[in-house]
Amino acid sequence: MQILDPAIIKIWTIKGALRWGILLPVCTTIDVVFFFSDNDMFLPGLWTGLLSVVCLAWILIIPKLRYRYWRYELRDEDLYAIRGIWNRVQTTVPLRRIQHLDVAQDLIEGNYNLARLVVHTAGTRSTDVVVPGLPYDEAVQLRDTVREFIAQYMD
Amino acid sequence: MEEPSAKFRRLHPLTFVHYVFLAIVGFVFAGVSSPDFGGNMQRNSLIFAILYATITAPYAIAKYIRFRYHVTSDELVIHYGVFKRVRRNIPSERIHTVSIERNMLARILGTAVVKIETAGTGEAEGDLSYVGVREAERIRNLLRTAQAPDPSESPASPSFFMPLKRVLLSSVYQFSLGISALLIGVFFQLESFGIVDGRALITWLVEQNFFSGAIEDSWLLLVALFLLVTLVLGWSLGFVQNLIRFYNFRIELGATKIRRRFGLITLREGTLPYKRVQSFLIRSNPLMRLHDWHRLEMQTLGLQSGERGFQPGMPFAKWTEITALAPQIRPFTVPETFMRVSRLTIRRRTLRYSLLIVLTSVIVSLLWWPNALWGLCLLPAGWGLAWLQYLCHRWAYHDGNLLIRRRVFGQQFWVVPVERFQAFEITATFFQRRLGLCTLIVDTAGAGDLRYPRIIDLKREEADRLLAELYDAFQLEATW
Repeated sequence: MQILDPAIIKIWTIKGALRWGILLPVCTTIDVVFFFSDNDMFLPGLWTGLLSVVCLAWILIIPKLRYRYWRYELRDEDLYAIRGIWNRVQTTVPLRRIQHLDVAQDLIEGNYNLARLVVHTAGTRSTDVVVPGLPYDEAVQLRDTVREFIAQYMD
Repeated sequence: MEEPSAKFRRLHPLTFVHYVFLAIVGFVFAGVSSPDFGGNMQRNSLIFAILYATITAPYAIAKYIRFRYHVTSDELVIHYGVFKRVRRNIPSERIHTVSIERNMLARILGTAVVKIETAGTGEAEGDLSYVGVREAERIRNLLRTAQAPDPSESPASPSFFMPLKRVLLSSVYQFSLGISALLIGVFFQLESFGIVDGRALITWLVEQNFFSGAIEDSWLLLVALFLLVTLVLGWSLGFVQNLIRFYNFRIELGATKIRRRFGLITLREGTLPYKRVQSFLIRSNPLMRLHDWHRLEMQTLGLQSGERGFQPGMPFAKWTEITALAPQIRPFTVPETFMRVSRLTIRRRTLRYSLLIVLTSVIVSLLWWPNALWGLCLLPAGWGLAWLQYLCHRWAYHDGNLLIRRRVFGQQFWVVPVERFQAFEITATFFQRRLGLCTLIVDTAGAGDLRYPRIIDLKREEADRLLAELYDAFQLEATW
């Protein structure tokens, strides 16, 4: 089975930091307000400290674990993917059920020359099966292989 | 190729009456929810009304003028849009459902809404609001002719019909808390607008002294009274909602399509091709099951607004009626025996409920020490529920269909044809992995985010074996 490009760990770390980073000014504001008020219910800097610990743990551990459990394989007639830390998910998408395919890349992924292969089906749960952390050329090649396979069987 | 503009038709002129009605409703809601700036209320309302009309009236006229449509047996062409002009061509062969809806105002005015849905969309792709009733029939017949020129379609007799007696009986089993919440919301809105005086109402109720001061003595009685009122309100509203929705429900099975017609205030009428039905969901609850009543729903590709992909097939029917009619749409038989999931599911579920009960009790006890610890008495109930869930969860792969029965209270019975599968999933949470269990999910088009077929807590090797069997059958049955 194929593994993802290790650079995806950095991308997930950056995205995680950005996501958690939004909450940091909110917690700091709460702490500052409590510090200058008469309320001595909370220790000074409690919320900022708590969030920083959770945030650091999250962005340092979770991306590595996600990378460790991500595997995919393009088999004869289906795309097979395993992922998940707490909830381990194995998805089998028959190629004949694929509606269309996208290769997507955002700014951060572009910086590392990585892309995502997005597989769309008519299903509800697995409508979009996303294989992240693929080198751009590899993602395009994978998309073309699947496309050719589908076209060949459609004819 | 540009169609000659002479062929294009406009909507019914009485559409403006609907616009005005909607504008009044919008105005009332906007007025109710707008903040009170003080000053003369009537003058403020008048200014607001003039502003509202000045903005919305020209837009409504422009919208009406821009909306034109043209129907042939090959396609439906719609031109619309005030700021962004859109020209939409919907080929007849892509049309999934043509439905006609008539609410109370439309029935008074002799107008109707024609909704055209195509596969794979979440909403109606063509919405002709409003046209005359005859025009609606003409549009539907034209599009229907193109879809399947089958002479055996038209003279269908009702395959299933719910007379008033059965609709009333089915309404008895309904319960709706959602509507109660909505009504309470409306009550508060009316109170904020000064139409209803909630405080005076409560004072009056207290002054009547219905319960001779018993409530003052016991908060438990007060809670019981609140629950009783909620139950009665929920049941009454569920009754009315069901009666309005399924009044005069009839379903006719043609050679290739299902035709349905139902509704008291809004009359819904539409066709559904058999090939669009993805799976069957037969729902029930313990009380309905006791009297052998069930509800058949059909999961479809297109999602009709409000139905979320599940269309009512037989809202209230006996099991024998369902197993006689549904297989005519997509063949299936119910096997004699079903397989059970692993008994370890009881242990996993008990652990989950116990954790939930203990955590909740501990958190609540921080605020309400020590009374909240009585919550721990619910621990045996958690085990009981887990055991019931194990008993109610069964599955079978039979005759090219995966059949799954699950849930204790809102019971579900799924019939999923193997050729309708879209993807396969095996998921295993941390606790499931410790017990060697997993959940098998078959993804189908049009299933809900919360309602989808799955077998929970199969033994891992059994799940792998079933998945392989289903996948092999899928390879043989499913077409490209």
